Amino acid sequence: MRKIRLAIAGLTACSGCQLSLLNCEDELPELVERFEFSFFPLACSPAELTGEYDAAMVEGCLSMPHEKELLLELRARSRYLIALGTCAVWGGIATLRNGENREQLRQLVYGQNPVADATFDPKSLKDLVQVDAGIVGCPPETAELLRLLAGLLRGALPEAIDYPVCTECNMREKLCLLLGQNKICLGLLTSGGCGAKCPSLSVPCEGCRGPALETNLEESFDVYARHGFDRLAVRGRLRRFCPEWLL
Amino acid sequence: MVARFLEISNLKALLNLLRQRGPVHGPLRGADGVVRFASLTRGVLPDLSASRTMLPPKKYLLYPRERILTYTDHEGYRVPAEPGLPLILFGVHPCDLAGVNYLDKIFLGDDPDPLYSARRARLILVGSSCIPDRFCSCHASPSPLQALSDLFLHTVDGGFILTSESACGDELLARMQSVLEECTMDVPEDTRRFFGSTDAVPVIAEPEATGPEWQECADHCLGCGACSVCCPTCSCFDVLEFGGLDGCSAERVRQWDNCLFKGHAQVAGGLSFRKDRAERFRYRYWHKYGGFGPLRDVVSCVGCGRCRVACPTGIDLRQLAGQLDKGGK
Amino acid sequence: MNSSIPVSAVISAIRPLAQDVSLYTLQTEPGNLAASSFLAGQFLELSLPGVGEIPVSYCGYPTKDGSIELCIRHIGHVTIPLKTSAAGNVVALRGPFGVGFPMSAYNGQDLVLIAGGLGMAPLRSLLLTLLARRKRYGKITVLYGARDAESLLFLDELLELQRQGAIALSLAVDRTDHGLANVPGCRIVLLPELLDQLAIDPGRTFAAVCGPPVVYPYLVSALQVMALPDDRIHLSLERRMKCGVGRCGHCAVGRYLCCVDGPVFSCAQLAGIEGALG
Repeated sequence: MRKIRLAIAGLTACSGCQLSLLNCEDELPELVERFEFSFFPLACSPAELTGEYDAAMVEGCLSMPHEKELLLELRARSRYLIALGTCAVWGGIATLRNGENREQLRQLVYGQNPVADATFDPKSLKDLVQVDAGIVGCPPETAELLRLLAGLLRGALPEAIDYPVCTECNMREKLCLLLGQNKICLGLLTSGGCGAKCPSLSVPCEGCRGPALETNLEESFDVYARHGFDRLAVRGRLRRFCPEWLL
Repeated sequence: MVARFLEISNLKALLNLLRQRGPVHGPLRGADGVVRFASLTRGVLPDLSASRTMLPPKKYLLYPRERILTYTDHEGYRVPAEPGLPLILFGVHPCDLAGVNYLDKIFLGDDPDPLYSARRARLILVGSSCIPDRFCSCHASPSPLQALSDLFLHTVDGGFILTSESACGDELLARMQSVLEECTMDVPEDTRRFFGSTDAVPVIAEPEATGPEWQECADHCLGCGACSVCCPTCSCFDVLEFGGLDGCSAERVRQWDNCLFKGHAQVAGGLSFRKDRAERFRYRYWHKYGGFGPLRDVVSCVGCGRCRVACPTGIDLRQLAGQLDKGGK
Repeated sequence: MNSSIPVSAVISAIRPLAQDVSLYTLQTEPGNLAASSFLAGQFLELSLPGVGEIPVSYCGYPTKDGSIELCIRHIGHVTIPLKTSAAGNVVALRGPFGVGFPMSAYNGQDLVLIAGGLGMAPLRSLLLTLLARRKRYGKITVLYGARDAESLLFLDELLELQRQGAIALSLAVDRTDHGLANVPGCRIVLLPELLDQLAIDPGRTFAAVCGPPVVYPYLVSALQVMALPDDRIHLSLERRMKCGVGRCGHCAVGRYLCCVDGPVFSCAQLAGIEGALG
């Protein structure tokens, strides 16, 4: 079987999604057998773009000109471009201060020190290129990552998840943290697929997987309000991982 | 019908005897206050006064997410092996027994589902009587679904009257002889009387597609899936396949689905036959009160009240049924 | 055999029919029921191991040697990866499932087969079934429309049958970029307009329709205008038939399940069902 040629790149992000892949220690030997990690700067050197890729998997959002160039280059060279993690799919936490004055923000962080690169308001990959598929999560579940790779072996992309975290939490027969304990759990509005990892441990969902495929925001606000959380509080939480919630 | 009396103080001893036959599961209230069917280990008594468990017994027959087939290039598709050990489900209310009866109609029969039928064959059902609360509607209309069990416990003063319903139940009664007494009192009226009705099925309102009630439901629905997850008879499932990293193996998974989700009626290319949520509500209504395909006209709501408890916005399909009825259909 | 378990089959041939549409010939064990005993209009569940399973209408005629013809359009989660498969690759299948076209009702009757796009696949199966016992039936008319001439499937077969006088054929395409000159008798009209020039005897004619959902309302009303009764109009519906055996709940049409009550329905059955005709 021909090896699948991969490019794995990180833009503005914490590298956690790529690390999740490197953390699949048990599967790495098999992965190396099936895939050619041809461009993977975080893990392999030299890191040079060569030829075409079966798939490019890109973590993080766009915030610098050279990232745009890299993404366009990856898009042009790859059959599939896959957004890896919530930042790549939705923008993620780097977009939290979007809309504010960037020069002021820069000075807030760096003072008068020179900064090498110009930056712009961070945005998700789909703002620049066509994205064929994505897996969400901060970071994505390793099982999802491995399934994505196994799918690529067969030319298949992951199917969209159409249920929220709430569904999985109910399946696990857990106490509802919002209705039962008045905690601000975002499971109602957040895409499932994590197995309700946090709420099942009594930790409210932070919304790290971004919006569920279909939500009812207005009605949800009412439910949150009944349990003591106003729109502002809920929105503030929601938009940490997805600026598009700021509608 | 054989009837025996069990003194309440002998319940623990009875469970110990049952445990000789296999693991016993029953309703248990967790530290978080949630009542679930869970393992009744030695010394643990079930909560027989709880109105309902969060999930119905279907979780023992159709797992929320489970592997239904394995594939290897060498062997092709195979059904995974299912352990043949018996499982005793203790303290199952009549509505949940009727729920199992409905699932049986879907998954057994001439061409049974291999995993469901294996699990069903080893499931021993011990029913118990109960008192409906404000969420229950089992008593609102009789159902042709039957609340069948192997043994049934009728709560009476000071204990339970046990009746056997099957050969397995007879065997269990014989096994538990030492803790049972002759039954001197009358068997109370069976709380299962709402089920197994041979009377005509109640006429279900033909929902008007354009009525405002559908949009009202749709506006309130959060799409959280809680209503179908907790429903004893909701058994729509999605099927997913995952290849192995070796490139030559795979597993096929089925998981509980919900008719209110966007993907439920979607076909290749993205076309959906039930695009808006109001349409999906009509589908849900029909599935519960009308029935599809071979189960047309079998009302599948058993009145357990779980969906009404679970819905974060209090959507109540039964109320809708009532409204539509009053519409003079 | 349990209908829940897919049986392996080998792809023995792949014949491109149009852009992104191919005719797959699968080989199973000789005598396999999925190959030997199905009715036109029924479907099977095709598995691509490691990728998934999809419902596909039969496109051919039952065989004793275990071969099965399926017309596949590479558009979905399973069919796109299938595009890279080659002869010799292994797939798996379950079936046959559902209700096909009511062949016994067609005895001694005229048939009008109306196909849009990929809808030709199940109707080709019906056509082959009719032709296998051609003398039993009256006049057979095939009306077939596609978006362009290149998308007309099985065109050579159809033209040959027309030449032999076995069928009457009318073709329509939505647009003409090129290539129309090679297709005799093809018109640039919408599919329902092909009915304009057709004369039928409504008392002894059945219509069998399969196409994209969007054309159904137009075709049905055109047939009704021709006084064809609803129980003489048969339609094959496409829904999300995941299990094929009436369990998964996805393919409901009104109170029918497409997988067990269909996919072939009469127009009379579907009357008044919201969304049934697309």
